[in-house]
Amino acid sequence: MKRLRDDPHLRPLFVLAACAVGLALVDARDFLTVATAASSLETFATIGLVALGLGLTMMIREFDLSVVGMYSMAGCIAVVMGGTYAWLGLACALAAGLAAGLAQGWLIVRLRLGSVGVTLGGLLVFAGIAYVVTENRALPYENMEVALGLSAPVGGIFSVRSIVAIAIFAAAALVIGLTRYGRDIIAIGSDRRAAMTAGVNVDALVIGIFGFSGFCAALSGALLSYSLASASPAGLSDVIVPAAAAAILGGVSLAGGTGRPLGIAMGVLSLAVLRAGFNAVGAPPYVNEVAMGTILLLVAVLDSTYLARRLQGLVRRVH
Amino acid sequence: MSQSAEPPLTDRTLAAPAQGQMAARAGEPRNYVGIVRVAVLVILAAVALTTPGFLSQPSILSLLTTVSFIGCVAVGMTLITISGNIMSFALGALVGATAMVFVLAANWGGFAFGLVAGLAFAAVTNALQGFLIGWLRANPIIVSIAALALIYGVAEAFAAHGTIYAATGTSYAGFKGKVAGIPVEFVVFLCVAAVAQFLLSLTTFGRNLFLVGSSFRAAEAIGVHTWRAVTGAYLWAGLFTAPAGIMLAIRYDAASMNYGLGYEYDAIAAVLVGGTVIKGGEGSVLRTLAGAIVIGVIQVVLVLQGLRTEWQYLIAGLIVLGVIALQTPGTRD
Amino acid sequence: MDILTVEGLSKSFGAVRALRDVSLSLRAGEIRAICGENGAGKSTLVKSLMGIFTPDAGSIAIDGVHHTMRSPQQAQALGLGLVAQELSLAPRLSVLDNIWLGSADVPLFHRRRDLRRRARAALEILGAGEWDLDTPVSALSIGQQQLVEVARLLARDARILILDEPTATLTDTEIARILDVLKTLKARGHAILYISHRLGEVFDLCDTVTVLRNGEHVATRQVPDITREQLIELMLGRPFGDMYPAAAAGPDTGDALVVEGLNVAGSVQDLSLVAPRGKILCIAGQIGSGANVVTRALAGLVPGATGRVSVGDKPLRLGSVPHCVARDLLFLSEDRAAEGIFHQRSALENLLAANFSAHTHMGILDWPKLKRIGARLAQRVAIDPRRLAAAAGKLSGGNQQKLLFGRAIERPQPGVLLMNEPTRGIDVGARADIYRIMRELCAHGYALIMTSSDLEEVVGVADIVITMYRGRTVARYQRQSIAMARILADITHPVQAAA
Repeated sequence: MKRLRDDPHLRPLFVLAACAVGLALVDARDFLTVATAASSLETFATIGLVALGLGLTMMIREFDLSVVGMYSMAGCIAVVMGGTYAWLGLACALAAGLAAGLAQGWLIVRLRLGSVGVTLGGLLVFAGIAYVVTENRALPYENMEVALGLSAPVGGIFSVRSIVAIAIFAAAALVIGLTRYGRDIIAIGSDRRAAMTAGVNVDALVIGIFGFSGFCAALSGALLSYSLASASPAGLSDVIVPAAAAAILGGVSLAGGTGRPLGIAMGVLSLAVLRAGFNAVGAPPYVNEVAMGTILLLVAVLDSTYLARRLQGLVRRVH
Repeated sequence: MSQSAEPPLTDRTLAAPAQGQMAARAGEPRNYVGIVRVAVLVILAAVALTTPGFLSQPSILSLLTTVSFIGCVAVGMTLITISGNIMSFALGALVGATAMVFVLAANWGGFAFGLVAGLAFAAVTNALQGFLIGWLRANPIIVSIAALALIYGVAEAFAAHGTIYAATGTSYAGFKGKVAGIPVEFVVFLCVAAVAQFLLSLTTFGRNLFLVGSSFRAAEAIGVHTWRAVTGAYLWAGLFTAPAGIMLAIRYDAASMNYGLGYEYDAIAAVLVGGTVIKGGEGSVLRTLAGAIVIGVIQVVLVLQGLRTEWQYLIAGLIVLGVIALQTPGTRD
Repeated sequence: MDILTVEGLSKSFGAVRALRDVSLSLRAGEIRAICGENGAGKSTLVKSLMGIFTPDAGSIAIDGVHHTMRSPQQAQALGLGLVAQELSLAPRLSVLDNIWLGSADVPLFHRRRDLRRRARAALEILGAGEWDLDTPVSALSIGQQQLVEVARLLARDARILILDEPTATLTDTEIARILDVLKTLKARGHAILYISHRLGEVFDLCDTVTVLRNGEHVATRQVPDITREQLIELMLGRPFGDMYPAAAAGPDTGDALVVEGLNVAGSVQDLSLVAPRGKILCIAGQIGSGANVVTRALAGLVPGATGRVSVGDKPLRLGSVPHCVARDLLFLSEDRAAEGIFHQRSALENLLAANFSAHTHMGILDWPKLKRIGARLAQRVAIDPRRLAAAAGKLSGGNQQKLLFGRAIERPQPGVLLMNEPTRGIDVGARADIYRIMRELCAHGYALIMTSSDLEEVVGVADIVITMYRGRTVARYQRQSIAMARILADITHPVQAAA
C-alpha cells in the first residue's frame, strides 16, 4: 500500500481504479455500460494527446501553454483545407502544429526566453487565429463521410480516433523507454546543466519536444474537428485543465525529471472515465468542470514544493 | 514555470581594483529596445490619429471606458507579476463572478452591501489562491487555471449560463455617467491605480513584493514573511479587479459570466507593454497605466477600422510575443 | 609535441574580464596544476576548453590542430573530458547510463553489449571493475560518483582530463585512491589538468603548476622548483601576512550564542558550540560535512533542525527566519546570486532590504531617511555612494558581498553574523576589505560565525576553529593551536566525534 502511494508511476493506476469503483458505487447500472467505455475512450482520444505533449514539456521542466490555441487552430486549418481531401487538411494542420511548436522551441532556446512567456504569446496567437477564422462560431465541415468514419465504433468501444491516440502513446512509450532520448529527457529534466556538460544536445531536444507538443495538440484538434464535423475555438479550461491534471496524476511533476507516457495515459483515462461516468449517471455539465478544477487544484497542492516542510512544521507544532 | 538556472558565474575580477566601480555595459541591448518602443508608440499614435472617427467624442469615451475595465484588471495583474508569479488566468472569470455576487447581494441588501460583498468575494477568492501559492509554493499558473475552471463551474451551477438582473426598480443611475466630463469608470480606475501605486512605492508591503519577486530565496533568507507577501499580492489583486466587475454590472444593470471573458490576456499584455518584466521583481502601476492606454487605443482603432472583436486575442498575442522577445535578450531566468 | 596548446585565450562577461590573454601548453603524460583564488579565471578557462563557453579571442589547439570549441560534444570528440566540481550525473539513471549520457556513440536503441563492455573496462582501470552497472548513481557515495564521472571520460577515450577540485568532498582514503588513479592515467599517457586549492596535493601529484590571478596567467613553474609560500604569494599577489588583519586582543565580553545538541537529519549530528562576542569562529569542513547546514540551521532556514540554542541567555526557536532575525541572528548565504542579492533592485534597496519596516511613519516609508541611512551604510562598507542607484546585479561580486554585509550591520544592537563562504568568488582587493569589515564588526561586539572551505583563509582569519566531518564535530582549536595540517587531517579523516 505504501509503495502504491509513494511510487509516482503506480499512482495513476490506483487513481483510475478508484475513479471506476467510485462511480460504479454511485450508479452501477448506468455507469458500467459499453457506452461509458466508448465515451471514455473518445475523451481519451481528445485530451490524451494534448496531455502527452504537455506532459513531455513538463518533464523537461517547461510548460507549453499554447496547446489549447494549437488545438483550436489545427481544427480550423483541418476543416478549411480538408474540404475535398481530408488527408490534405490533416496534413496541413499537422504541419502547422509541428512548425509552430518548433518555432516556439527555437525562441525559447536560442533567445533564452522563458517558456511561459513564449507559449503565452503562442496561445494567444494561435487561439486568436482560430477565433478570427471561425468568427467565434462553429465552422462546419462538409465531409460527412470522414466525420462518421472517424467516430464509427471499431471493435465495440474503440474508434479510429482513439486507436490513433493509443498508437501515438505506444510510440512515445517505446521511444522514451527504449531509446537514448528517453534517458536524455530525464537527465535534462533532473538537472539541465549536468546534462549539457555530459554532452546531451539539450537545445535540440527542447526544440524537438515543443515541436512534438504542437504536433500532438494539432493532431488531437484536427481529428476532433473532423469527427464533430465542425471547428470552433476551445476554452482554456476545457482542454488544459484535464490535460495538466492528467499529466500530474500520471506521475509528471512540475519540477521535471519524472514521468512516463504510460502514467500519463492512465491519468487521462482516469479523468475520461470520470467524465463519462458523470454523463452516464446524469450529472449536470458543471459537475465535470468543478470536478476537473478541483482535481487540478489538488494535484497542484500535492506537487507543491513546500508541502512536505509545511506539513512537518504543523506536525511538530502539535507535539 | 521556473527553469533550472544555469549556476550563476562567481565573480570575475574587474580590470581596475578601485572600490565601488560599477561594470558599465557598453552597447547593451536595452538601448535598442527603448528605440523600438518609442518607434512603435509613434507609429501607433500616427495610425490612431489618422483613423477616421478616432478623435470623436463617442470614440474617446469608449476608449476611456475600455481602458478603465482592462486597466483595473491590469493593475491587479501587475501586483501578481511583480511578486514573481507571472500572471493569473482567473482574473477575467473573477470579473464576471464579482459582478454576479454584486448584483445578487445588492438585490438582497442594497447597493452598499453589494459593494462590500463583491469586494470581499474577490479578495477572498484570490487570497485563497495566493495562500496556496505563497505558503505551499504551488505553481501559480496551474493554481490560477484550476481557479478559472472552478469559478466558471460554480457560477454555472448557480446561474446556468444565465444573466442575473438587478432587481426591478433599482438603477444605479447615480453611478453611471460622468464626473466633470470624464466617465465614472475612468475615475474609479484612476483611484484604483493610485491606491496600488501608493502600496507599491510607499509601504513595506510593496517593497516586500519586489523583493519576493526578485529573489524568493533571498527574501526568505532575510526574514521577509514571504507567504504573507504573496497572499497579500493576490488579495489586493482581487480588490483591484473587483471594481471592473462591479462597474460592468452597474453599467448594464445585470451580471453575467460573459463579463470579463479574456480580460486577463489584455491585462497581461498591458502589463508587459508597459514595461514590467514577466519574471517579476520590477515594475510599476504607472507603467501598467500607460500599457492599458496603449491596449485600449489598439482595440478602439481595430473596431473603427472595421475589425471584429475576435481579433483581440491575435493582436494581444502578437504584442505579448513581441514584448517578450525584446524584454530579456540573452539572459535566461 | 604538445597535446594541448592554448594561446591568448580571452573571455569577458559584460565588462567583467574573466580571462585575459591566457596561454599554456600541455604534454602527454603531464599533470599540470592550475592554481588561483576564487575568481582568478580557472573555471572560465576550463569551461572554454570544454566548449561550454566560446572564448572571445585566442585559440585552442589539440595535437597542433586548431579548433573552435562550440559544444561539449565537440570537445569530447576531440579527446577532452571534464570532471567538474558540481557533478554532472543524472541521479535517477544507472551507472551505465550515466557513463554514456550524452555520448555520440550511443545508438538510438541504447542497450548494446559493447557499451557495457567498454564501461566495465573503464571502471576496471579505476579499480572499480566489480561494481554493478545498473545501480542508480544516487545510491553511491560522492567518492564513487566521482569515479563514475572519471569512468565516463575514459570510456569516451578522453586523452586530456580536466579535474576541477576533485578532492573537495572526499575522505582521505578516497583521496588516496583518486591520486593513485591519476598517476596510473599519467603513466598511460593521458594529460591531466588538476585544479585545486589543496596545495599539498599539488606538490604531491603534479609535475608543473600554472598560476592564474585576475584572469591573467601569472607564472608556470616546475613543481620541484617552487615552495608553498612562493606559490601562495603568486596566487594572492601580495605577501600572505598582508591579507588578514590582526585580531584585536580585547577582553572577553561574554557569549553571544550558545548551541547544544544541534541536529539536522542527514546532515548534522549533535553539534555544540559557543560563539563569544568580538571573535570570529570558523567552522571548517568539506562540502558535505554539514558546516553550511549548521549556519543555515542557526539562521532559521532549516525547518527540521532541533537542538537547544540560546542567544544572550534566552532560548531561540529554530526553523523560522523572521524569529532569528528578530533576535539579531543574520545570515549571509554562500550563494549570493540565488539567495542574497536582489539583482533587479538597486544597491540602495539591497542595503535596506531587511529594514524597511523600521523606518516608516504610520505605515508610509520615509524615503529621505532611508536614503540617508543607505548612504551611511555604503560608506561603512566601502561602496561608492554614487553607485547606490544602480541595479545590484550589475555590481562586481566583491561589491555585492559588501552590500550583504552592509545589510546585516544596520541593527540597533550588535548580534551574530552567520556567513557561509563569505569571500567566495571575490577578488583580492575586495577580500581584504571584507576581512577588515569583519574585524570592525568584532570590535563593535558582533560574534561572527563563518564557514569556509579555503583552508588558507580559515587559518588566516579565525580566532576559533571547529572542524567537522560528515556532520559531526571533530575538534575545536583556539587561536594559538590553529594549524593547517591538523585542520586538513580532521576534515578528511573519518574519526570518532569529539566529546
